[in-house]
Amino acid sequence: MSDFLTGDGRTHIRSQLMRESLQDRDVIGSTHTDAELQIMPNVVLISIGGQSIFDRGRAAILPVVDELVEARKAGVPMVIGVGGGTRVRHTMSIAADLRLPAGGIAQLVGAMEECNAVFLNALMADHGSLPMQREHFWDLPLYLNAGLLPIVISVPPYHFWEPPPDEGVLPQHGSDFGLFVHAEVLGMERIIFVKDEDGLYDKDPKKHADAKLIERITLAELLADMPAELILDHTLFQVWKDSRHVKKVLIVNGLKPGNIARALAGEDVGTVITKEA
Amino acid sequence: MSERRTIASALAGSALTGNEGFDYQPVALEPDVKVLKIGGQSMLDRGREAIYPILEEIVAAKDQHKLFILAGGGTRARHIYSLASELEMPTGVLAKCGGYVAMQNARMLQMLLAKHGGIYMLPDDFEKLPLYFRLGCIPITSGMPPFEYWEKPSALGRIPQHRTDAGVYLTAEVLGAPRVIFVKDEDGLFTDDPKKNPNAKHIPRISAQELIEQDLPDVVVERVVLEYVTRAKHCKELQIINGLEPGMLTRALAGEPVGSIIYKG
Repeated sequence: MSDFLTGDGRTHIRSQLMRESLQDRDVIGSTHTDAELQIMPNVVLISIGGQSIFDRGRAAILPVVDELVEARKAGVPMVIGVGGGTRVRHTMSIAADLRLPAGGIAQLVGAMEECNAVFLNALMADHGSLPMQREHFWDLPLYLNAGLLPIVISVPPYHFWEPPPDEGVLPQHGSDFGLFVHAEVLGMERIIFVKDEDGLYDKDPKKHADAKLIERITLAELLADMPAELILDHTLFQVWKDSRHVKKVLIVNGLKPGNIARALAGEDVGTVITKEA
Repeated sequence: MSERRTIASALAGSALTGNEGFDYQPVALEPDVKVLKIGGQSMLDRGREAIYPILEEIVAAKDQHKLFILAGGGTRARHIYSLASELEMPTGVLAKCGGYVAMQNARMLQMLLAKHGGIYMLPDDFEKLPLYFRLGCIPITSGMPPFEYWEKPSALGRIPQHRTDAGVYLTAEVLGAPRVIFVKDEDGLFTDDPKKNPNAKHIPRISAQELIEQDLPDVVVERVVLEYVTRAKHCKELQIINGLEPGMLTRALAGEPVGSIIYKG
């Protein structure tokens, strides 16, 4: 029996989706399963903030590095991401002033966080860190099995193909989103965002003295009543809604010693946002 | 504790989680480029019979227009998605693997157009487009956007939301082209799938918003593209033409409203 089917001018390969429109909701639904392969469920993704940690320099960065290295020695398999911080904001301001399109801005910003990845790598190289290039995506298991500390790219490769934002011109797929999707596609369950605040507040604590810390919240609660000033990308929460694997997102204060170690050891520290109640 | 060392800028200190009030009409990078998508299932899977005539029209038009050709996927992509679904792969893996098919198709088109200046281009060479046009070449690339493992999961199913329609549309949008042309095997948009329902009616022109509101069970382009057309800064028209009908592409390139046009209302 031939695997090919002809007769309408096209040559098809027999498959469940043969000749079907991939826009048809029933066809799309036919590819749904409740179980989805979790490729690396035991790995934790930890993101080190750009503005909040890197832009503070040595005094903030070195203690974070120590805690990451200690946790890795203790056997915690982790993937590290970094933010770009103030240089990303400066890049966007200039690019916007030049009237560049969203895709053009998205193409530019990744370079600034790559510098922070290089810095972090230089500080941890002696303990087995390495920057993971996009082409080396499937080397991750190799790195982790060897006890290494891979630092991954954070801004997703949307680049010139950044979808038009629903408002304004600034790209909506930044480093928080990129790292979230990275964790999700590999079936990771926990993501830790290291910032310079104790977690998520109902308003920006840097501007409002009466801002209240939210210690624990579900994604549904958060989506129902989003604070106007968030510490993470809006897009992350929108995508989390449709995700299968990520169960918890932690926001921890990296300026307070021990927080990162505790979070990596599996403790609930800072703000814990959970997918399910 | 050490302070944040910030560079003064309009966005300094911002959490960058919203649009921060920035909006403007962006510059168009290369507004006169004609971005063309050659369909996968609709054109390439038909082989020589469909592809040779359309390439003849492309070659005839290449000196009057800056043509940028992007390829769709087709039945091999469907086979990949089908097998990957059975294996319960995540969406990002499907997006990565689906991209290989459009890449093969782009390479096939390049081989056929090489003697006329066809150049195969990777996404990383996007900024070399002006050079290719200056040299009179026809750049050809995969329609798949480079999202790969970073493709968003969908609430329903696991087929990537951004496939070659989205990649081609976003290419035209960032270049600042006012219109993008999709070459398929139907006269454009119909009220139902004309291959399955002979009573389906042709729709010559419709706004993306209207099409979204009709909430049809099936549409001719990827749904995200309709959403993006409503937010377009530049590419406000998407024209779908029948590449099996001789002369249609030539007329579309001349600006005629053949086929169907989905526009930003």
